[in-house]
Amino acid sequence: MLEIKNIHKSFGKNEILKGVDLKIEKGDVVVILGPSGSGKTTLLRCINFLEQADEGQAIFGDMVVNLKSATRKQIHQIRQKTAFVFQNYNLFNNKTAIENVTEGLIIGRKVPKAEAYKIGQQALEKVGLSDKINSYPSQLSGGQQQRVGIARAIALNPDIILFDEPTSALDPELVGEVLTVMKTIAKEGTTMLVVTHEMSFAKDVANKVIFMDGGVIVEEDAPEEIFSRPKEERTQQFLKRVIPEDYIYNI
Amino acid sequence: MEKYFDVTYIWDTLPQLIPFLKVTFMVAGLSVLFGTILGFILALMKLGTSKIAKKIANCYTTIIRCTPSIVLLFLVYYGLPAIASNFGTDLNTLQTAVFVVITFSIQFGALMSEVMRTAYEAIDRGQFEAAVSVGLSPAQAFRRIVLPQAFVVALPNFGNSFLELMKEGSLAYTIGLVDIMGKASLIISNNYNSHSLEIYLGLSLIYWVLSILIEQLFSKLEKIFSKGKQLIKTT
Amino acid sequence: MSVGLDYQFLVKTFFIALSGVPTALIITIVSLLIALPLGFLLALSRINRIPVISQLARVYVSFVRGTPVIVQIFIIFTSVPLLLKPIFEEYHVKTNIYDINPIWYAFIVFSLNTTAILIEVFRSAISTVSKGQLEAAYSVGLNNVQAFRRIIIPQTLVVALPNICTATVNLIKATSLGYALSLKEINLRAQVAANVGYNYIEAYIDIFLVYLLLCSLVEYLFKLYEKRVRKYKAVDA
Repeated sequence: MLEIKNIHKSFGKNEILKGVDLKIEKGDVVVILGPSGSGKTTLLRCINFLEQADEGQAIFGDMVVNLKSATRKQIHQIRQKTAFVFQNYNLFNNKTAIENVTEGLIIGRKVPKAEAYKIGQQALEKVGLSDKINSYPSQLSGGQQQRVGIARAIALNPDIILFDEPTSALDPELVGEVLTVMKTIAKEGTTMLVVTHEMSFAKDVANKVIFMDGGVIVEEDAPEEIFSRPKEERTQQFLKRVIPEDYIYNI
Repeated sequence: MEKYFDVTYIWDTLPQLIPFLKVTFMVAGLSVLFGTILGFILALMKLGTSKIAKKIANCYTTIIRCTPSIVLLFLVYYGLPAIASNFGTDLNTLQTAVFVVITFSIQFGALMSEVMRTAYEAIDRGQFEAAVSVGLSPAQAFRRIVLPQAFVVALPNFGNSFLELMKEGSLAYTIGLVDIMGKASLIISNNYNSHSLEIYLGLSLIYWVLSILIEQLFSKLEKIFSKGKQLIKTT
Repeated sequence: MSVGLDYQFLVKTFFIALSGVPTALIITIVSLLIALPLGFLLALSRINRIPVISQLARVYVSFVRGTPVIVQIFIIFTSVPLLLKPIFEEYHVKTNIYDINPIWYAFIVFSLNTTAILIEVFRSAISTVSKGQLEAAYSVGLNNVQAFRRIIIPQTLVVALPNICTATVNLIKATSLGYALSLKEINLRAQVAANVGYNYIEAYIDIFLVYLLLCSLVEYLFKLYEKRVRKYKAVDA
């Protein structure tokens, strides 16, 4: 459904992505792991054109787009098919929860207001925030804000949702509620590409795990394989650092 | 009277005006001095515990903020001697500059009280508490910890207020003060209004350069004094 | 001089001064209508470093902020006729340049002046709205115009509102310099009335009161409006 080919991106002299290929099928939940600075976030941002890649191609269904020289129209089309969940939520500060969720529908997609409101309501219900419909972001906790962020993404009914470290900015006790919501929507068959440091989510929910380091994909496989039998040296080193020893072999 | 534009008049104006900068500076300097003292007192009233003092200081600031400089200038110029004469004092012989300084001290005081209040409030209460916790007296904590930090916060606003004062000060020509603005209008009336555009352009050049210099000075000062602050930011 | 105030004159002149309020308000409103959008666009050009426009805007702001308003008034008042004369002659416009209603000069001076002030106001306000807001708007499928109109501008306005209020009050106060354009606003009307019997103190007390009323009313209205649009900010931070 989504295929990324040979994506390159540098910031100044710093080459962050050195030719990454990626293929995602409908219904996939793909988790990207890797140390910070490995290019995970940049990859995600390039797919949604929040950064412009220096080279590469995206194949989205029957649409083939050059990531470097995409036209405004193509960028708009791809953004219409995707949704993005940000690390620091980026809820619209001047809009209530429901307005945040319906903004893209009403303005971006010209969905009638009443219909958009209904979709928004359902989305907020799904993330367990029916009672916060009219709250402004400043009145919500971090976890609640991120759940609104997820509701905003699913309301668009996108082909794929891109998650950029959705729990990294949260206090530890708030991580759980966000992961639960993510699990729920994953089970419903939503296609997801998730950058995260939450190993449990990768283990339990993903059907494919990608390990990135130094701007390339080092290894990709099913979670059982990666966590119990990592093939590459770098993957083993990384997992050893982030997961207690016995945990790996107990899977 | 044929009107035409002649650039050389702009340059010829400059040496005639520049000697009068000292009047501009003197009036501005004295107003800053008295205005800062007044502003400090008003800021203390605003931050203090007395409700009446707070009300008075806030009222004063609002009233001055709502009064155009030129109106305040004339109120002082005509009003002070009238009030004084009721007490048997004759102030009509006072120099014009005195009225100008009084006017702009009143105005600058109101500006400064706000600058000082917001600067004080910008400093985290924790700074004071930490200072007291290591054994400083409240007065010491204020003088050694809070004041130096508040000073840095206030610096850019102080610079802006100073610039504002200098520009508003140009209105003193209306009551006959001969500073650079006053001199420029004298030259123009002596010329029967010909080439007034060039003279005003020359005048604006002087003000412009002066403003840029003052701005640069304050941003330098800010850099010098905010060293500790930047360190905190980068680590 | 020690005869105390002429109260009859004081009351009469108060209404004369008050009759100058519409003039002051028209100038203020016209200047704001021109300066608000222009200031915002130029602020964007400064932030995005659009070549030429950005540099010009910078010099323009520096000049306006670095020179007294009264000098700006005199410059416009003396230069516009010089500039217009050849144009009028070229197109055979019958109007005598020196018969133009001075309010047009006031519109030019004060909108140019306020634009420069608002460029700086908007520049700092826009920079407080995080880039993430724009990215989020893109991510839900809004285009550039939609993102600015619905997300960025509303947030910028709230941040800028106190400074726009100050700029408006300063603008109203600056219209008191309209006397230099022979504009019949608050200040000049009362002054003319005072000329007859040298009742300057009374006249200036009246002018003072009218400005005090006008400016505090404007400040109050801004505060009300600010309360309404600020509703999304945390009540308790």
